Amino acid sequence: MSALIFTIVLGIIVLYLGFAKNKAVLAPVAVAGLLIALFLSIQDWGLGSKYFHDMILFDNFSIAFNISMIIISILIFLFGVDYYKTMEFHVAEHYALMIFALSGAFLMTSFSNLIMLFLGIEILSIPLYVLAGGKKYSYRSNEASFKYFMLGSFATAIFLFGIALVYGASATFYLPEIKIFIAQYHGHLPPMVLVGVLFILIGVAFKVAAAPFHFWSPDVYEGAPTLVTVFMSTVVKTAGFAAFYRLLDMGLLPLPIPLEKALWVMTGLTLFIGNLGALKQTNFKRLLAYSSISHSGFIMLAMLSQHSSSASVILYYTFVYSLATVPMFIIFILMKRASGGHEELFIFRGLFKAKPWIAVFLTILMMSMAGIPPTSGFMAKYQVFVLSISQGILWTSIFAILMAIIGIYYYFFVVREVFTDHEQTNPIIVSKLNAALIVVCSVAVVLLGIFVFRLPI
Amino acid sequence: MILLIILLIPILTGLSLLFFRKTAIVRPLALASSVVNLLITLGLILSPSASSYTQSWINFMGISFSLGFDGISLVMLLLTNLLFPFILLAGFNREQRNVHILNFLILSTQSALIGVFLAQNAFLFYIFWELALIPVYFILLIWGGDGRRTITFKFFIYTLTGSLFLLFGIIYLYQLTPGMHTTDFAAFNQLKIPAGTQNWLFWILFIAFAIKMPVFPFHTWQPPTYNMASTQGVMILAGVMTKMGIYGALRFLFPVVPLGIQYWQNTVIVLSLIGVVYASVIAFRKSNLKMLIAFSSMAHISLMVAAMFVLNTFALQGLLFQAISHGVTIVALFYLASLIKEKTGTIELSQMGGIKLQAPNMALLFLIVVLGSIALPLTAGFVGEFLMIAGIFEQSIWYAAVGGLTMILGAIYMLYAYQRAMLGDKKKVFEKITDIGTLDYLILIPLIVLILGLGIYPQPIFNIFKPVMEAVIAMAH
Repeated sequence: MSALIFTIVLGIIVLYLGFAKNKAVLAPVAVAGLLIALFLSIQDWGLGSKYFHDMILFDNFSIAFNISMIIISILIFLFGVDYYKTMEFHVAEHYALMIFALSGAFLMTSFSNLIMLFLGIEILSIPLYVLAGGKKYSYRSNEASFKYFMLGSFATAIFLFGIALVYGASATFYLPEIKIFIAQYHGHLPPMVLVGVLFILIGVAFKVAAAPFHFWSPDVYEGAPTLVTVFMSTVVKTAGFAAFYRLLDMGLLPLPIPLEKALWVMTGLTLFIGNLGALKQTNFKRLLAYSSISHSGFIMLAMLSQHSSSASVILYYTFVYSLATVPMFIIFILMKRASGGHEELFIFRGLFKAKPWIAVFLTILMMSMAGIPPTSGFMAKYQVFVLSISQGILWTSIFAILMAIIGIYYYFFVVREVFTDHEQTNPIIVSKLNAALIVVCSVAVVLLGIFVFRLPI
Repeated sequence: MILLIILLIPILTGLSLLFFRKTAIVRPLALASSVVNLLITLGLILSPSASSYTQSWINFMGISFSLGFDGISLVMLLLTNLLFPFILLAGFNREQRNVHILNFLILSTQSALIGVFLAQNAFLFYIFWELALIPVYFILLIWGGDGRRTITFKFFIYTLTGSLFLLFGIIYLYQLTPGMHTTDFAAFNQLKIPAGTQNWLFWILFIAFAIKMPVFPFHTWQPPTYNMASTQGVMILAGVMTKMGIYGALRFLFPVVPLGIQYWQNTVIVLSLIGVVYASVIAFRKSNLKMLIAFSSMAHISLMVAAMFVLNTFALQGLLFQAISHGVTIVALFYLASLIKEKTGTIELSQMGGIKLQAPNMALLFLIVVLGSIALPLTAGFVGEFLMIAGIFEQSIWYAAVGGLTMILGAIYMLYAYQRAMLGDKKKVFEKITDIGTLDYLILIPLIVLILGLGIYPQPIFNIFKPVMEAVIAMAH
């Protein structure tokens, strides 16, 4: 709880630091603040403290996810040091909004009440609507913001409607009570509750960009400033899945058959659309948007396997996925600058010749994304398949494996560009901080694959 | 412990190469490490003592880092460590970009291959299986020939597809193991899987190996890849990596899905025999020498697969022996093919002719290797192929008849190729061709000595895998 309060205060501090007109202090303050929040979160480990009449429960699950999101946010802010140097944004607002979104994400991992989940999603989303339009004079950025806002508020309305329906039937917002309420029907829910639960699931699925509620994600990822794209594809995705899992685990499982089928169809569609959509992309950000959708599919597979270790597998998956995504976008920005503002895949051409070590790290990151050993991305997928196959979900697993093959295809499309001979016209300038981030993240991606952890959550 | 040393020598040397960078140091150092590794391996074979290395790794998923060996592993280990000094030697005195990275990648491949052959845990096996692919992918992508971008891509995706099905199989077997699940081979071998499950599980597991070997109709990646690859790349691919498939099939299929094997036995044999004839006929029609050798390799491998599935001692002994002799022969063949391309500037047989007049020694060595490849008596190829066909004969005379075509058709297309390349009138463009140099002798003479030596006295190889032979057969029944 102290971490949550501290984060909100930190956001306000950073916001007011904007008056100081000194961009250089923002990132250090934000990072130092997040480090304190990290420390405070670790302090709460194992306590399982409850607040506000049990509306919030900081159990190990939520703390583990919070810690992972704080670490990723720190990495993103460090990336921001270099990123914002050349941009004329209102930098303080950007940092502050991201910190506010982070505090919303904390709520999304620790709710035990539907109202808290709603608040968390809103606190996370509203800063994001603004952030997506961060490039005020960019047409694409405005489009992204508008699209995200329109679709997002629509999804929120549906979500809220779902909560109202469930409340109308069960007279409670409290998830454990909803669970008992649902359980008494033995899988034959009255239509009102069924529709209510379905609407709630749709609202959450929108946040994690699961098909068929994914249409916003490629456009928003492409249009938003890259740093915001990174934030969305890592922290927001982690928060979304933590909320999704917690919602199912605490309140809705075991799902009635029609809803479970719906979720399975959603998983299959997400895998299918994510991977096939990525195949034809030439824009790197769109490619990663679709790949992010496909990763959602794998995480949903782990989630729906309903194994006792599903939560820790989701944590591991989202963490290593985020850890690989951040440096990948850093490299993308470096190449974008060197190519004079292009975002297509060909900007990576000749990277191996120009900067061999970056090429090697990018290859490692791509391998992790594609799920090739010995990287942590492989271990993540492996654990997902272990869960699903040991629960007897064979056909969907085979389907997911086929989709993983397509994934390898488009990730290695980039790798192939990297190792193609081509003279870079402009030099690729790597700041020391960015270089350190790339190295640290890539090494961590490999080490986490060799020393796999599973937290007791 | 000694197994860990064998596993680590190449990769550690490879890593150290990245710091040296000087070609004059890099190549000898890499070579020295591989020779040392070969000596240690020979020591291991000569003084057989049960050696293993186990280290717990990811306990909650039943994964351990355990190395060990039996006769089959030992044969493959010997083949790997025997061929790599020659593969590294093939890079000497040649113009190559980024020599230190290339040698690092080659040595990493070696380590990964050793890992594949020594792993006693299915997960570890899979990791090494994939790790072997990655450096090879880059060797092909960066140092390959024309069209490497598309061809390596196909190769990579193709093999990974198979691997992922293997992964599915491993996980499926893992969750079948009783108690605390584990991925140890020992536990897999104890499983009693119902026949119906074995029938489909067989293909899930086999497809990865079938692609790697390759078995008809999973072969389409192979000829273009071999043709495009650099000398060293193709030596690794054809010499050692094809054997990964054979080893994997022996290690995985036989103990785990014996009923599945019995069920699909005839299907696979027929497929392989189709592969034999198909590859031989195409090899005959090819005028690209490297393509021709690639298809001939496929024909020989197909025969090995057929021999694997007839399930008797003759065939299996022949198969393991042939693994070594095919490895040695094909490496020599591809080296000679690259040499010819280097000297004449073409790989098309239609443009060659009369090289013998210009380079008699090369022609002589080429002839010996060709004879080894078509399994003339007193060469290593004969011992292996004879045993395999004898084994196949026990299964069915018709299978043996078709399998025997490998030797007949092989003789036709190889000798025809030899005739077109070496004999005949001297072509004007080849005026300036020089005969082979010291380095080429250093590579070819030992390989030829092996081909002839093992043909005359094959017993040492048989001694290696003798103990394991009966055990495999007992398990298969």
